[in-house]
Amino acid sequence: MWKSVAYKEWLKIRWFFILSTIFGVLAVGYIFLKVQYDFKFNDPNNYWYVLLFMKVKYFSILKFVPLIIGFAVSVTQYFPETVDKRIKLTFHLPINENKILLIMMLFGTACLLASSTLLTLIFYVLSTIYFPVDIIIPALISITPWLLSGFAIYYLVAFIILEPMWKYRLFYLVFASAIFPIFLESSIAGGFAPVNMSLAVLVIGLSISLLFSGYRFRKGEQ
Amino acid sequence: MVKLSRYFLVVIAVIGFAIVIPKFYWMAFEKPIRSPFIMWSCIDNDFMITRSGDGLKRTSRNLEKIGETLTREEYEQKLPFLYVRQLLMNGTMPDSINGVDIDTHDISQRRTTFRVRPKEIHSPLPTLYPLFESQSRRANLEMPKDFFRITWRMEFIDAESNKINEEKSRMFSAVLYKRGFKFPAKSINGLPTTRKSCDEGYLVIDSKDQLFHVKMIEAKPFVEKVKIPNGLKFKFIKCVDFNTKLFYAYLFSTDNHLYILTQYDYELIKFPIENINPELNEIKIYGDLFNFNIISVGVGFLKSDILDRDYKLVDQYSETWEVIDEQIEGKVAKFLFPAEIKMTNKKSDFIKFNVETNKPFNWLILSSILAIIHFIILKRGKDKLTKHVIDLGIIALTGIFGFIAVNIFPNKFYD
Repeated sequence: MWKSVAYKEWLKIRWFFILSTIFGVLAVGYIFLKVQYDFKFNDPNNYWYVLLFMKVKYFSILKFVPLIIGFAVSVTQYFPETVDKRIKLTFHLPINENKILLIMMLFGTACLLASSTLLTLIFYVLSTIYFPVDIIIPALISITPWLLSGFAIYYLVAFIILEPMWKYRLFYLVFASAIFPIFLESSIAGGFAPVNMSLAVLVIGLSISLLFSGYRFRKGEQ
Repeated sequence: MVKLSRYFLVVIAVIGFAIVIPKFYWMAFEKPIRSPFIMWSCIDNDFMITRSGDGLKRTSRNLEKIGETLTREEYEQKLPFLYVRQLLMNGTMPDSINGVDIDTHDISQRRTTFRVRPKEIHSPLPTLYPLFESQSRRANLEMPKDFFRITWRMEFIDAESNKINEEKSRMFSAVLYKRGFKFPAKSINGLPTTRKSCDEGYLVIDSKDQLFHVKMIEAKPFVEKVKIPNGLKFKFIKCVDFNTKLFYAYLFSTDNHLYILTQYDYELIKFPIENINPELNEIKIYGDLFNFNIISVGVGFLKSDILDRDYKLVDQYSETWEVIDEQIEGKVAKFLFPAEIKMTNKKSDFIKFNVETNKPFNWLILSSILAIIHFIILKRGKDKLTKHVIDLGIIALTGIFGFIAVNIFPNKFYD
């Protein structure tokens, strides 16, 4: 059964997911296109110096990429379910309703994990061409909260979309506005080192939030 | 599971509101606290004080006691080393001070300014540094092609190829090893910039808290072990490039004392002052022909110690002022919020959950009121109170944050 649910989810999100991931890959490609250009027109040692001592982040355009991917996947996966309350058909399947929601959430999470892993791998491999680990590790520390923001926005958007009452959707939006900016705080490279683990725990906590609004949806809260 | 997801949401919302609501509160009500500007006058042997706020007020320690102020010109004449150009322009520069003939070249040679803030220490520090050629026979310094790190050995990495320069790495590592350096380095301190008068390399602390001076002279390593008293450990070293060329760096020890390391003879001189802690307070050090003025500015206090050129204590000044917690806005905050979470901190470049709990439990009053209001709402709704015990507990403990959180996620379950 879970395979069928996963296939249904894939049909909904595939194009947006693939396109947004391609967009992410292109963004990473652009970063290194710019790095090689700067290496060519400025001496590499001066470029390293700027990264190490002038607090410049060569990867800063990645900041909103996971957010865009997470948002696109969440909207394409959950919004169609609320049109004419289609998700009610899914709830009529011979499988526990919470389990179905969790399968949907896990499928989306797996897709985001795949796209985040791909982007991180490309970013890491290309970084090793130009930079030593002393520059790459702080960069990876800095992109971690941005990657987590992709998961956070995915869970928050799903949570808000599945809520049946507009009043509470607005409340949840206030809640999301309070918690989400943490992931995008401005910081120098490596500045997120003390907090990344806590942010990961926060995201895990958010992951089951859609069970709550999904419950209210299927109980027909008006 | 659904109930559990609600409690997860409530807890996360409490965290979010504990960040956002106090932030908005302080944006609306915080008042700037301006610390006074303190300088030492070698003319009057007195502390000159500038206070901003309701108009600029220039005075001195002695004049302030009798409620007198100084005009701008009078003030500037008391600080001839700070306002050299202005006094020369006005023709009011004295010919001699304290029996010493004044030469503007000497003034500029001896004048030094130094500042360090806690943020410089609490920051992700680089682990790669450029090692300049100290005797390049060029007028200007040039950025080297490679950068070094000191881990299990001293490694030079070429920026062009991103590869380790094995020959150079082995040469420097061998010399460090022979001088008794214990790898890896705990801290590497220098001036990694070409914008300095000359290069004096780096002061490096090894894993056993030994201090070494490392530089490169004609492409060869120069390593000098600095003799330091037993048990002395440095938590922060900041190298300087002053015209005087009298010392390499200001060194701050773990027991909150300040040292300088003299150039060439590597003498460690301890300043006779206490509680100099750059991890917590901003430290400013002004030097001139006659004195050093060491200023510590922290939360609600300022301390200035004056030393003469023989590093003997001349005078001290300290002042305290009302901190934000003692102001009316701070007291109100203690009633409103059980705690505040700040992701950023003025004293750190790191992002983290800085939780500041309000210890005087004044917030319990508001928390109790909110818990009672919630209780009344539940009573009116004729819902079973047993279902809401945890919510009431959350409100009692987390006050306004919990009250909002439990109400935006309705505790309504059909079972």
